[in-house]
Amino acid sequence: MSFEPKILGIACNWCTYTGADLAGTTRLQYPQNIRVVRVMCSSRINPSFIFRAFQLGADGVLVGGCHPGDCHYNTGNLYARRRLAVTKKILEFAGLEPGRFRVEWISASEGNKFAQVVTEFTGQIKALGPQTKFKIS
Amino acid sequence: MAVSFQQIEEKLKTEARRLLESGEVSLVLAWGKGYDEKHPMPYVAKCPSDADGIVFNEYCTHNPARYLVRYPRGTKIAVAVKAADSRAVVQLIQEDKVKRRDLVILGIPVYGIKNPKTGELIDGKTTCGLYNPVLYDVLIGEEVHGQPVSSPYAVLAEYEAMDRDARFAFWKKELDRCIRCYACRKACPMCYCDPCFIDQRKPRWGEKSPEPAGNLMYHLTRFHHLAGRCIDCGECSRACPVDIPLYLFHKKVAKDCEEMFGQAAGMSIEDKPVLVNFRMEDSDKILE
Repeated sequence: MSFEPKILGIACNWCTYTGADLAGTTRLQYPQNIRVVRVMCSSRINPSFIFRAFQLGADGVLVGGCHPGDCHYNTGNLYARRRLAVTKKILEFAGLEPGRFRVEWISASEGNKFAQVVTEFTGQIKALGPQTKFKIS
Repeated sequence: MAVSFQQIEEKLKTEARRLLESGEVSLVLAWGKGYDEKHPMPYVAKCPSDADGIVFNEYCTHNPARYLVRYPRGTKIAVAVKAADSRAVVQLIQEDKVKRRDLVILGIPVYGIKNPKTGELIDGKTTCGLYNPVLYDVLIGEEVHGQPVSSPYAVLAEYEAMDRDARFAFWKKELDRCIRCYACRKACPMCYCDPCFIDQRKPRWGEKSPEPAGNLMYHLTRFHHLAGRCIDCGECSRACPVDIPLYLFHKKVAKDCEEMFGQAAGMSIEDKPVLVNFRMEDSDKILE
């Protein structure tokens, strides 16, 4: 059987989650490997969520937020941008492939972009293979 | 060095006695006698006669700034700090854990502190390598002139050049050894959360037993929590009973933060910690 990755998607309620909804209502096809968790803002994401996801067997983590400047709470994603950049550096220095963690800004009207990003990311994770480094066996 | 450890000790004692006698401060944080010459201990002087117990020698590695957050707000405290330690005080002021007006900072410019465990000189390899305190009210001794021997981040080059899998293997080997005594957390001047995320039961962020999975979770999250705040005193690694080179990871994160956000931790009380700050013009490139 081919490798079907498990991908955790963490999406902001106001943009990416609504964008994902739009992708669904417009019947866009994208891989089913992503499991989306809705949070109120990308700055709600505790970096431990990401570390923990990798430990519990996620092969990739995709974070979606509003475009900088468009945050529903004005500045949330600007804090998140800095924080998640640090998370990325830490994962990389700890030895995890940087391609397994991605942050994308997807607005509520970008259903197309959501589908496209998920397709692309799933392909990327498939190429990387199962994530075994952090996974608790 | 122009000023000897003995002279610094004498001056520290005099200064501590003066401050306590005048009532300017209610306690002085410094170093005191340990069980032998090589192991001085953190020391709190609460009355003028306590000042005689202050010790300063080449093995005074501890960071007295660690104890600042343990006293109620508004307590007038005099704290003796070496160069890197003073950055901790600055960072605590930035984070509003202590007020500048409550502190008398006794800055000690010093070069030649040694690690009691290995006898090695503590320099830019394991710490920020500064000679002079960045902030002080009273300077104990004389400013040391000259630049640090090497860049504080020079030691990282070897690890950054490593193959990714080799680096993972390296960290796995190091972190698997952790016995979860939490000495790193307790020695760290910037670790003051109550409760610490790892002690929380709900949500339970990671396994609490000293096993690889929980160790990874604990340390990675701790590195993240200290991002842009670690002042590179290297005390975590010296406190570690199983000699995990935690300072390497902290240095790496500090270096990345400095590169991405253009600000080193604990250098000026006017700064804001980088992760509770943002700029509209931060580039999305940092996420790539």
